[in-house]
Amino acid sequence: MAQANGSAKTYDVIIVGSGAGGGVAAHVLALAGAKICVLEAGAWFDCTRQSSMFGWPYNAPHRAAGSKEKPFGYFDATLEGGWRLDGEPYTMAPGSDWWWWRARMLGGRTNHYGRISLRMGPYDFKPLKRDGKGFDWPITYEDLAPYYDKAEQLIGVFGSQEGLENTPDGKFQPPPAPRGYERIIKIACDKLRIPCIPSRLAILTRPLNGRPACHYCQQCGRSCGVNANFNSPGVHIFPAMKTGNLEVRTNAMAREVTVGADGLATGVSYIDKKTRNDVTVRGKVVVLAASCCETARILLNSKSSQFPNGLANSSGLVGRYLMDTVGSDTGGFLPVLQDLPPFNEDGVGGMHLYMPWWLYQEQMAKKLPFARGYHIEIGGGRDQPSAGILNGSERYLGGGYGVELKQNLRKIYGCEVYFSGRGEMIPNDNSYCEIDPDTVDQWGIPVLRFHFKWSQDEILQAKHMQETFQEIIKTAGGEVIFKSDEKEEWGIAPGGKIIHEVGAARMGDNPKTSVLNPNCQAWDCKNLFITDAAPFTSNADKNPTLTITALGWRTSEYIVDQVKKMNVKV
Amino acid sequence: MDKKNSPEAERELPPQTAHVSRRDLLYVIGATPALAGISRADAQPAASDQQATAQKAKFERKVFNDQQWRTVGVLCDLIIPADERSGSATQASVPEFIDDWIAFQKQENGSDHEEAQILGGLMWLDRESNARFDKSFADAAPDQQKQILDRVAWPAKAAPEDRVWVLFFNEFRDLTVSGFFSSKMGVADLPYLGNTAVTKWEGCPPKVWTIIEDRMKNGFNDITREARAAKS
Repeated sequence: MAQANGSAKTYDVIIVGSGAGGGVAAHVLALAGAKICVLEAGAWFDCTRQSSMFGWPYNAPHRAAGSKEKPFGYFDATLEGGWRLDGEPYTMAPGSDWWWWRARMLGGRTNHYGRISLRMGPYDFKPLKRDGKGFDWPITYEDLAPYYDKAEQLIGVFGSQEGLENTPDGKFQPPPAPRGYERIIKIACDKLRIPCIPSRLAILTRPLNGRPACHYCQQCGRSCGVNANFNSPGVHIFPAMKTGNLEVRTNAMAREVTVGADGLATGVSYIDKKTRNDVTVRGKVVVLAASCCETARILLNSKSSQFPNGLANSSGLVGRYLMDTVGSDTGGFLPVLQDLPPFNEDGVGGMHLYMPWWLYQEQMAKKLPFARGYHIEIGGGRDQPSAGILNGSERYLGGGYGVELKQNLRKIYGCEVYFSGRGEMIPNDNSYCEIDPDTVDQWGIPVLRFHFKWSQDEILQAKHMQETFQEIIKTAGGEVIFKSDEKEEWGIAPGGKIIHEVGAARMGDNPKTSVLNPNCQAWDCKNLFITDAAPFTSNADKNPTLTITALGWRTSEYIVDQVKKMNVKV
Repeated sequence: MDKKNSPEAERELPPQTAHVSRRDLLYVIGATPALAGISRADAQPAASDQQATAQKAKFERKVFNDQQWRTVGVLCDLIIPADERSGSATQASVPEFIDDWIAFQKQENGSDHEEAQILGGLMWLDRESNARFDKSFADAAPDQQKQILDRVAWPAKAAPEDRVWVLFFNEFRDLTVSGFFSSKMGVADLPYLGNTAVTKWEGCPPKVWTIIEDRMKNGFNDITREARAAKS
């Protein structure tokens, strides 16, 4: 069958992916005047038209409960995707457990994510120097700080100026006032000398660039019908399209980067999912931002006589040092919250207070049995009633039935609180992805096989989380209602479940020990760049999206600069 | 009875049509024959949302047979009866929720354990009721029904040999409670006051925080203390 040629046109830049990394690249490069084609594997999505904001669980199937198809519930913004994707399997090596989340839609995961926007700190860029583990980034905090500034000012992040160790402040909008249970938790944290400060989320508390401020309905995960939270289409893609320089092709599943005789990238081959045609689109620069693992997969599948092990893989490190975030949760019941007068506790879609890591000095003094830190995320209170509300009430009311039960249930609504630790994983030799030689997906693309293992550093960090959360709950006068112990490895979530996968094409100072140079440019192919989380050298406890945005911005400016200097031809 | 006010109106609507302004709606019971015996004393006519009504999906049972359906209705209303603030579990379509939920979980988990636990528990209620009162559970008098429930409704006080029925009742109570309080009627009952646009967010309302602070300083009557102490 003849291969459909996308068009005779040669774009200045082809960007694979339209999430946080693809979005920022498209925005910066389109505004700089480059002619761009974005390939998105999923469908078109515009939150101002497709959000299920204000929907009620009682009008949704199964009261909007999570399912295999919609793990975060019926209203979650993810159009197509999850930890399973029909027709697109992945495999795991024996003994490995890896959950790979894929969101096939314009904007990818930025449509539903938690909007937590934490800067990495100076220590986080040089972890090897600090404690002898993992690898250092080839850049410093100071290199990225100006881009954090720009990213925060474009996407809109609220927060407060605190001056805490390794927890850089940013260009923040004012934070929302805390909820009642959050103030109670803060009082407990004050007693325990754990910092509890306003959270930092990419949700507007003031209008910005024509986007209105938040109206506090708490359902950011459904995507916002008025664009008051950060999402790549609303903040990056659509404004970039207004320049006339950006074309977006949806349902375009990238397969490989094509390479010319000179070893430079010439374009991208993708499957048009609607027609099942294989299409090649030509470009002078290729930017991969397909999400960490998908980007590694594209590189490994881009084999040629010049690059028999895959493109940009002369180091053999593509797919290596895959990381996720360490996660462990505990729940508590705060009796002091019972039988309060009714009030609306929604707020923004996420916590108003959080606890950044606070034991840097203790760790330096070797007083802790694990190397890296975590922050604490909190939730609970008078959440929107959906499937499972007030389950397990016999734990608080002793059981019963009838009018007395009904009256007491109203009184205990909103008394539960939840704590989630989100901590740093140190990259290790046992955690990586590779091409499974035996398996392809429905598009005929060889799939990834994952290897994954936590080390004792992560497991003992999860133990510390469990102990800390239980101490906070007790100090707040509450009761621990669920927890994890040693038998369950302290509740550590399986790799990938926190959906913070990073690494797999890391940047560095040395072509032998890294895939990308300090500008996220492939050592082996100078017109190939990566702007998702694949370049990450470590995975600090700070959620990746803000750093993807800042680093992608920096990489995109570098591309503009290199084109101007004629080092990269367009 | 106006069909558009039936409890099925709560079900299976696409999210885009779901936004309804807050009203204290009470649903009247639908024309389901199996529920005909249940008191409608507290039911009030509903001001139904036109959009929602236009798209209501017809409910069809997937799990319970007629006999079980009667028992489920009676049991749900023993757990969540009508009171001065809101209607009963059946008035909020909780049996429909439970039937759907069990089928959904069976499909999701590939396990029939929950279904077996609920159906087995319903059998036990009838067995006990027949042995003691020579009537099925649904046909027994309310006092008789309560005598059976009292054996299993208080986990800490139940006999060890009743453990499996205690676990059944815990599960059934959870299904009824969550089905009720996630329904439109239950949301208004709690009340949950969110899912709406707020012009100015002020955090915890000062009058609420005053109560919390006072409690933290001076203590308070904790209705959960006894149960929590008995558990630990």
